[in-house]
Amino acid sequence: MSSSNFLLVNYVPGASPIHRAPLWLKFLGVFACGLASFLIVDWAVSAGALALMCALFLVSGAGVRRLFRAVRPVLPVLLVIGLFQWWQLGAPTAGRIVLNILVCIVAASLLTATTPIQRLLDGVVSSARPFQRFGADPERFALTIAIMLRSIPYIAGAYSEVRDSARARGLERNPRARILPVIITTVAFARQTGDALAARGLGEADD
Amino acid sequence: MKSIVLNQVGVEVVADGTAGSKVLLSGISLTLTEQRVGVIGANGSGKSTLLRLLNGLMEPSTGKVTVKGKDTVRDVRSVRREVGFVFTDPLSQLVMPTGREDVELSLRRSIRNPHERRRTAESTLERFGLLPLADQSIYELSGGERQLLALATVLAVAPSVLVLDEPSTLLDLRNRELLRRTIAGLEQQVVMSTHDLDLVQDMDRVLVVDDGRIVFDGAPSAAVVHYRQLCAASLPPLPTPAVEEVRKPLEAHLGEYR
Repeated sequence: MSSSNFLLVNYVPGASPIHRAPLWLKFLGVFACGLASFLIVDWAVSAGALALMCALFLVSGAGVRRLFRAVRPVLPVLLVIGLFQWWQLGAPTAGRIVLNILVCIVAASLLTATTPIQRLLDGVVSSARPFQRFGADPERFALTIAIMLRSIPYIAGAYSEVRDSARARGLERNPRARILPVIITTVAFARQTGDALAARGLGEADD
Repeated sequence: MKSIVLNQVGVEVVADGTAGSKVLLSGISLTLTEQRVGVIGANGSGKSTLLRLLNGLMEPSTGKVTVKGKDTVRDVRSVRREVGFVFTDPLSQLVMPTGREDVELSLRRSIRNPHERRRTAESTLERFGLLPLADQSIYELSGGERQLLALATVLAVAPSVLVLDEPSTLLDLRNRELLRRTIAGLEQQVVMSTHDLDLVQDMDRVLVVDDGRIVFDGAPSAAVVHYRQLCAASLPPLPTPAVEEVRKPLEAHLGEYR
């Protein structure tokens, strides 16, 4: 699997103000972007929010190419969503929905690009600590995030390999040849990951 | 208590597409005290099943497996702290995007302080010569570097036994040699399955597995001879070459002119 930087950007070392910002502020920023996607009703405000997030991304020094790589995979999906919403609810609503999704993706990418994963996981553990009294294990929260970050590029890589192999066999128009192997690979990956975690004793409760 | 003990162990799984079950291992009784133990055998012979029993990744259907006196079913968490497991494909084992992050993930349970965890991760990576590659994506590492990294993530938590399931299968000659030297320098007890018959020569004891049973248990050279004989006996007879098919009638035909 070759895709290592899909949808969420890997950490880019740097000393920008965003790198130095406290983690809680970055979490709050991502949360605010998610919340705003429900609250903003004007496409122009969404466009402004997207411009702001893109500007922050560039200030972080992660670069235009990484920004484009983070957004590119969802563009076909956004196109479908946008066209459907345009047909159903008109252009302003369609524009707002698509722009709001992009705001969330850029905000999440900004978080992962400017925060080392271990610091991110420590932050998740700290945030989840209040739930410990209800029997939750904060380390499992962190592990879940880690596995999610790892799985997205793996599955994207699997899709790309399966697509190439379907092309090589002249089956590029056959949805079964393009989807079924991805599902099988994903299930196998989940089992392998489960085995690897179990073998390393990760995800087990503390004694 | 320094040994791995398998007592009358059998493993059966439900076979797909049939009503019955499939026997993966049967009647295995072993006491492994040697520092280096090799396991060889054909694909599907039961090598991986045998190794997975040692870390509790698989439970025996019959019998009992203990590592340092701990039952691999009842005390599985404790056993996994004692027994590190390295898979054939390091990519199925490495969870984080970079080596540093993956080693730190291994250490999260044992070291709570982030700075101390980072220092320990760096010293582990340095020990394997991987510190310069610590922040590279695991996808950008060579096969050998990935396998060494997988080894480092497991050894970071200092297990007393290391189980390796065909660790050299995906490696080229140079990386295989690198892995061989690294394994030779480990203080842990090592149990390793492999198809690399050179690697087997470094072992103190070698088990040959065939059809779910241990069919030979002894010194490396004798084990390899036994394995080769087993392979030769299981091969189908060579098909008659096409040239032989025409040679006899041709000779008979030419004979008329001699």
